[in-house]
Amino acid sequence: MLKLYTCILCPNGCEIRAEVGEDGQPAAIAGHRCPRGEAYVRQEICAPLRNIASSVLVEGGELPLCSVRLTSPIPKARIFDMMRLIHAARVPAPVELGQVLIPNALGLGCDVIATRNVGEG
Amino acid sequence: MTQTDKDVIIIGGGPAGLAAAVKLHELGVRDILILEREHALGGILRQCIHDGFGLTRFSQTLTGPEYAQRFIDAAAEQGIAYMLDTTVLRMSAAHAVTAASRKGLHRFNARAIILAMGCRERTRGALSIPGARPTGIYTAGVAQSYINLQNTMVGKNAVILGSGDIGMIMARRLTLEGARVSAVFELQPYPSGLPRNVEQCLYDYDIPLYLRHTVTNILGDARLQAVEVSEVGEDLRPLPGTQRLYPCDTLILSVGLIPENELALDAGVLLDAHTGGAVVDESYQTTVPGIFAAGNVLHVHDLVDFVSLEAERMAEAVKRYLAGEQAKPAIAVSAGRDVAYALPQHISGARDALLTFRPRRPLRDATLRVLQDGQAILTKRFPRMLPAQMEQALLPAAALKSHNPVEVVIGDA
Amino acid sequence: MPQAPERFDALIIGGGVIGCAVARELSRYRLRIGVLEKQPDICCETSARNSAVLHAGYNNEPGSRMAALCVAGNRGFDALAQELDIPYKRTGKLVVGFTEEDREALAAMKQAGTRSGVPGLELVSKAFIREKAPYVGGEFALWSGSTAILNPFRLVFALAENASVNGVQFFFNSEVTGISQAEGLYHVQTAAGAYAARWVINCAGLFSDAIAAMLGLRDYAVYPCRGEYFVLDKRIGHLLPLPVYPVPNYKTGGLGIHLTPTMEGNILVGPSTEYIGARGDYAATRRVMDTLLQEGARIFPHLQKEYFIRNFAGIRPKLTPQGVGGYHDFVMERRGNAIHLIGIESPGLTAAVPIAHEVIRLLQEAEPLREKPAFNPRSKRFCTFADKPAQEQAELIRQNPDYGEIICRCETITKAEVLAAMRGPLGASTITGVKYRCRAMMGRCQGGYCQTRIARLLQQEKGIPCDQLLYGRAGSNLFTGSVREP
Repeated sequence: MLKLYTCILCPNGCEIRAEVGEDGQPAAIAGHRCPRGEAYVRQEICAPLRNIASSVLVEGGELPLCSVRLTSPIPKARIFDMMRLIHAARVPAPVELGQVLIPNALGLGCDVIATRNVGEG
Repeated sequence: MTQTDKDVIIIGGGPAGLAAAVKLHELGVRDILILEREHALGGILRQCIHDGFGLTRFSQTLTGPEYAQRFIDAAAEQGIAYMLDTTVLRMSAAHAVTAASRKGLHRFNARAIILAMGCRERTRGALSIPGARPTGIYTAGVAQSYINLQNTMVGKNAVILGSGDIGMIMARRLTLEGARVSAVFELQPYPSGLPRNVEQCLYDYDIPLYLRHTVTNILGDARLQAVEVSEVGEDLRPLPGTQRLYPCDTLILSVGLIPENELALDAGVLLDAHTGGAVVDESYQTTVPGIFAAGNVLHVHDLVDFVSLEAERMAEAVKRYLAGEQAKPAIAVSAGRDVAYALPQHISGARDALLTFRPRRPLRDATLRVLQDGQAILTKRFPRMLPAQMEQALLPAAALKSHNPVEVVIGDA
Repeated sequence: MPQAPERFDALIIGGGVIGCAVARELSRYRLRIGVLEKQPDICCETSARNSAVLHAGYNNEPGSRMAALCVAGNRGFDALAQELDIPYKRTGKLVVGFTEEDREALAAMKQAGTRSGVPGLELVSKAFIREKAPYVGGEFALWSGSTAILNPFRLVFALAENASVNGVQFFFNSEVTGISQAEGLYHVQTAAGAYAARWVINCAGLFSDAIAAMLGLRDYAVYPCRGEYFVLDKRIGHLLPLPVYPVPNYKTGGLGIHLTPTMEGNILVGPSTEYIGARGDYAATRRVMDTLLQEGARIFPHLQKEYFIRNFAGIRPKLTPQGVGGYHDFVMERRGNAIHLIGIESPGLTAAVPIAHEVIRLLQEAEPLREKPAFNPRSKRFCTFADKPAQEQAELIRQNPDYGEIICRCETITKAEVLAAMRGPLGASTITGVKYRCRAMMGRCQGGYCQTRIARLLQQEKGIPCDQLLYGRAGSNLFTGSVREP
């Protein structure tokens, strides 16, 4: 079966065509401008991964929120579980860019890290 | 009122202003001052907390605040001077800049001025969307600021008009924060944002994108209750009888960005009707000598990486200007068939010029041609071109045949 | 035990320009006065949604109250504006004509105006139009020298603030739900509490007929007639130095789609005349928007969509139904101790203070009023920054550093002005309230830059929780809550 993908790894957004066999494995992949595109589609076929960005509540900060992201993508199906975790988290100011706010989140091997500095308010 | 002389005044401490400052410093220009109206450097990136920045500039994917911090750190390391909470009120063709801050009114006389003010969002008023005037209608950037910087949630049930990148990113952001986003409507027959955002911001969350649709009525008294959406025809006008009601408490508008050039107009800088930014040469110099522009104030970019790169190229030109280089007699560059706009609008012919352009419509197997004296002096192929995606091509000075105008055209297969 | 209702000598129903003018003029006397307003602020309906023109009085029937009070309002405005610090400008006005029929109509208007005592009316040639307003169409015109433009918001807020300084109490979110009479008092029930008063003054504008009916006066019906406007970017403001009107077709109920410069340099295009069902329906329609563009361009060929920054609508409380159009005279009636002001449409803004004087006259018919020696007729607006020369701007910042913080980029409105708009007994507590008082968010980006800052300042300054912050009217909550509950 022919499947179409838009690669999300870079702004080029390559349109990639993949022939997926009956076993669910990709037989042929075409249309990508770089090897990352092919890897993306292989991953997408078996277990799609996404990174998410959101905010964590800061206590006593110059700003109410600190923006965060994951250090590595997680299974798409776990996005909202991760959001619940992020939603419940609180961090005292000051926060430093790169600071791990939630280590090994959901046991998925990725950390939730601050993407900005928030000084004390 | 204080009076200060500066080699370079940079208006705006967002990605364009920061990149220009850091580059100028690297090139040995030290008497620089950034004027920033906000309480922090970083510009709009401060609220763009999503990732996807930096792949071109840093070969790494970063969020907006992280991307900005790289330049803020670099500027700090170099000791580049900046003033925060400082708003430029006036600017003259003679390079006098007047700014206000809590410390007073400041007057700067600069040898060169860099315009890096970014852009603003097109509003409901500019579009003249008919209907009631309830609250709950936000431009995407305003909603983004409320949610990401101010910790305030703008609504629970949203509809998005316009498939600009910020609109799609806000569709995902609202969904992640528990709001329902019923649909994104786009007037054009193609998305105005990047394909990857259609994929990862809309399709990932089962948010439908309706092309050739627009909002034709707004309902609600105090707070928004519903929008009426209609299909549009070839002429982009609503087709009678196609109306559908979408109940919602929030309408997010992502219907275009406008370079913020009121200060430039003050100084007599000529603007391009298509880009809304200044008319420039390959040095990013405007029609007023010594006033330069880069980033979203020059033309709206889809990616911050290109803003930084553009500002860095401009910084090199500013350095040459300070060293005494004069603008040469110009060769006009015009946007021809299927080209929405092309920058720069004129070139000296003395050095290679990086042409930046967008197609008017989506094209496959397209060929860019630069024509002069009836001949193609540059040809470049593109497997796909999208209005959402800015493209570039280097026009070598050696390719120019004469001082006659050149035209940029696109042909598809 | 229910608490006894708070007692007043006079309760004014409605906090528009009429209610505020009555409140201010009555505050000259030894009376306990309250103003009941259903919205969270004064100046929320028709008073905030009009052409912002100080009319001369030639559009109204000679001998009518409308004509007499309009002429009086125009004549007295210089003194009023000085007392209350109201920005205005005697620009004069042109009513331009194209046809012989127009020429006759203009001559008739001049004649009517002269009979009503309107000064400075003149039939003028195309050359005169070109000299006064070079970018305007028209073959000939009626010139009205006494017509002015003004800041209508400041007029209402100045009247209210001055009334407040002189002891008038304002009650917001206080929609009147019923009025009964007992023991020589009116008992007024509102959404926020009950009040009692010896006098009730009905200044309820669009709802003046409904308030009258609560008091047993059922002779009048208000027919809401909507007028839509466009606001144009200041960038072309210099092309229109004064208001330019077409020859009116009074039958429609309005003065025709005209162009008016605002005090701050924008241009208003409008209003349409459309009788509507609902009194609060401020919606704009595509059809009317197209008409505005088309008809506006007839007298101002530079009119183009690219200059639109906003549209809005106002609703005239007319006493003449659709098909009849024209103007019914202002109704000003005393029934017992209730005074009814009904159908106060255009030129109500111009005539507001003379209307208030009429109210005092009606009151004095029933009882003597004693003047209050401590009455202070003056009100001073906070100092504005944008219109000052550089040296003065520098001095303002030196005295108050908040003047150095620009909140609204497009209109150069400083934090000092935004805070001033929020402070004081009648300070704004909504986004619209801030906008109307200091002009922030009225520029071309329509709050794209400053609305988020103003929302934050309002929450800090007024202690409003984010889920209760209103844009304007009741129910217009800006936020559904916090993203992360602190």
